[in-house]
Amino acid sequence: MNKESLLLSIEIVFSLIAIFWIFIAFSLLYRRIRTSQLRLIEETFADIVSRYLYNDPKNPLTLAEITRTLRNVGIKSKNSNNIQFLIRLMIRTQRTLLGNNFKKLQKLYTQIPPYGVSIKKISSWSWYSKARGIREIYEMNQSQYFDEIFKYRNDKNIYVRREAQIALVVFLGWESLRFLPYLKHNITLWQQIKIVEKLYDLYPRPELKWLHRAYETEKLFGKKLLMRIIRKYELHDETGYIIDHLNHYDYEVRETAIYCIQTFAVSLNKMNYIKELYEDIPNVNQQGLLLNYIFENSEIDLDFYLQQLYSDNEDLKLSIAEILWNNGYKEKVQEFYYQQYPKRELNVG
Amino acid sequence: MLDNIENIIRSSYVYTTANYFFFIYGLTLFGLYFSGVLLAIKGIRRTKRKSTFLQVGDIVSATDIPSVTLIAPAYNEGLTIIENVKSLLSIQYPYYEFILVNDGSKDDSLEKLIKEFDLERNDASFIQQPIPTASVNYIYKSRNKKYAHLTVIDKNNGGRADALNAGINFANTELVVCTDADCIIEQDAILKMVRPYLEANEKEIVACGGGIGIANDSVVKNGVLKELKLPDSIVPMVQVVEYIRAFLLGRMAWGEINGLMLVSGAFGMYPRKRVIQVGGFNPRTVGEDLELCIRLRTHMEDLNIPYKVVYLPETLCWTEGPPDYDILIKQRDRWARGLWETMSLHKKLFFNPRYRYMGILYYPYWLFFEFGAPIVEFLGILLIIFFGIFGLINWPMAVLLFFLIYGIGCLFSTTAIFLYVKNFDHYTRPKQVVELLLAAYLEPFLYHPVLVYGQMKGYYKKLFNIKSGWGTMTRKGFKISKS
Repeated sequence: MNKESLLLSIEIVFSLIAIFWIFIAFSLLYRRIRTSQLRLIEETFADIVSRYLYNDPKNPLTLAEITRTLRNVGIKSKNSNNIQFLIRLMIRTQRTLLGNNFKKLQKLYTQIPPYGVSIKKISSWSWYSKARGIREIYEMNQSQYFDEIFKYRNDKNIYVRREAQIALVVFLGWESLRFLPYLKHNITLWQQIKIVEKLYDLYPRPELKWLHRAYETEKLFGKKLLMRIIRKYELHDETGYIIDHLNHYDYEVRETAIYCIQTFAVSLNKMNYIKELYEDIPNVNQQGLLLNYIFENSEIDLDFYLQQLYSDNEDLKLSIAEILWNNGYKEKVQEFYYQQYPKRELNVG
Repeated sequence: MLDNIENIIRSSYVYTTANYFFFIYGLTLFGLYFSGVLLAIKGIRRTKRKSTFLQVGDIVSATDIPSVTLIAPAYNEGLTIIENVKSLLSIQYPYYEFILVNDGSKDDSLEKLIKEFDLERNDASFIQQPIPTASVNYIYKSRNKKYAHLTVIDKNNGGRADALNAGINFANTELVVCTDADCIIEQDAILKMVRPYLEANEKEIVACGGGIGIANDSVVKNGVLKELKLPDSIVPMVQVVEYIRAFLLGRMAWGEINGLMLVSGAFGMYPRKRVIQVGGFNPRTVGEDLELCIRLRTHMEDLNIPYKVVYLPETLCWTEGPPDYDILIKQRDRWARGLWETMSLHKKLFFNPRYRYMGILYYPYWLFFEFGAPIVEFLGILLIIFFGIFGLINWPMAVLLFFLIYGIGCLFSTTAIFLYVKNFDHYTRPKQVVELLLAAYLEPFLYHPVLVYGQMKGYYKKLFNIKSGWGTMTRKGFKISKS
């Protein structure tokens, strides 16, 4: 490396630093301008919605006026960022309304710009646009595009297929259980949660025929999803499905079953069955969780606890001893303690 | 003797080897940092996009999300303990427990806690201890329903790692967050941290870390960071830049290729099951956070289960950095010893193909460029002195080279500041940004040499087996706003 090349390198490096200074200055300035612009759009939209929902006959709000007002604050087809922001506002506002106002707002959304933006995104090559488009469609309840979305339920991109699966729940309700437990790819915990939440929000009355049909699934994520649905809807008559999975070979399925059964108080027969399954659970932490459940949801079954106390499984003996100790069986714990140390080894005064 | 040294130094073998070594080392480091910037940009963009589909508001309203326990050890923190606990109790999360572990404090911490939170003493005879710890005296729960989520464990002193292990033993949630009692955690931090666990698909998340920021001289009200200010003095000010650079560029980049070996002890989330499987934090090292992360990774590699260590770019936890050089040296001395201990505990990873990228790339990187950097810098200074004395330095070229290296350092710091300003809204005032840039440009002169000294001091202690613990970290405390 000679002097000239070093000097050139220094020049390049310091020029790059100067360029970054410009970027930083621009970024600060842009943030300031953008923040005020977004605030203006937000205030304008809030005003439009309130005037539309609570229309003043003396000062009626026309669609032409809405369109003009939105255009004046920057809602133009060439400005995609502003349009995206408006869509977010529309979705957020819609989520906060119920009843007649909700219906009125949905009608308004069909009449004002932006038009057909979300469906256009679905044909984009970018997973981000595609997933966003699907999300906007189901959030805005544009069921006319359902067929377009349906084909993405097994898409290779996790976000695209996730949004498409939620759309299935939104548009089909309980019938979506025809498809969801049989999908190609695994459903993440969040996806399961979201499906259950959406189903519960939009379709609070259970339709058990779809649930019963879905029981046939062998997919592990499908089993977990169904157990979460049973839990969320508090379907006491369906607890048998959860109990049957308490000793499933898969750790996660067992974990979900133990988690879900904790919501329910079960009959004596079912509790006895759970106690039978208890010993088949191959993980000590999960056994601990189930032990808590058994303790909190049934009368003290001395035989069961003593059997566990004297079993070969050392890990939970302390918990079992605590249960017995605190529930009137101190002598049983002492007896167990002393029998562990034969008399000849005791060194007592 | 002096003639001998001169002959060795003057020999073309030493001179050429030294030149090539430093050149190749510097070039590799530059290449790694440059790749890091590109990966970090990609990572930040991807994280932001992903968060569109998993918003914090959705998580709050969901019912099936994993439960989380926040564990904070405290030792002699009586002065600020009440404020700190209130701060940590105010975090938003639907299924949240908070365990404060009083690690044998000699001050009045426990008495203050009992009085303020109306704590009731419970027997600890039957507590499960899957991870062995120093003995637990009592468990305290509040009689006041307002503090139903608070548990205080009073145990004998065993150090930070031991206290965290006691908290992990007692927790009964799926996830645990380990932090320090004096950290200010963003209200929605856990909601954000839990995202990767909710979204985990083929790979299990074994650890998740969030950005940590320096908040010296900032204003805290009711345990919440009310006003983020830049520190008044240069030492913590440079640390602001250092943390931004390390977290936003370094961790984000390694996270992008699943190469993160460290989740900071100040704020890290782990699945309790896995932490217990590996035996918890190692109380025999002062670098327990790094050591646990490496052990978790090694464990997953041994089990042959696909896993991920995740980093979130957003600053979710604020801490007080060392306010002066003395405390900074103590801190870096401890970090260096922790690094030494961890590298030595896991030396089996070194170029071990059984551990795939961790053995072939990540561990050697840590060894050469994290552990090795202070040594190389120190050697560099020594060689400059010797070469200078013996007239082997072409000074005009050396000065130019210095400017180039200095410029490259400034470029990386400027890039980090730009990315932070662009993506986050913590420092948005032009004055703040200018101050940050100035601090970054002064760092090589006013801060970095002290850092190297602190690190070398730590290595020296390890090399000559000089006993040293955590050291006393005196802190000024945040400014508390009553209004």
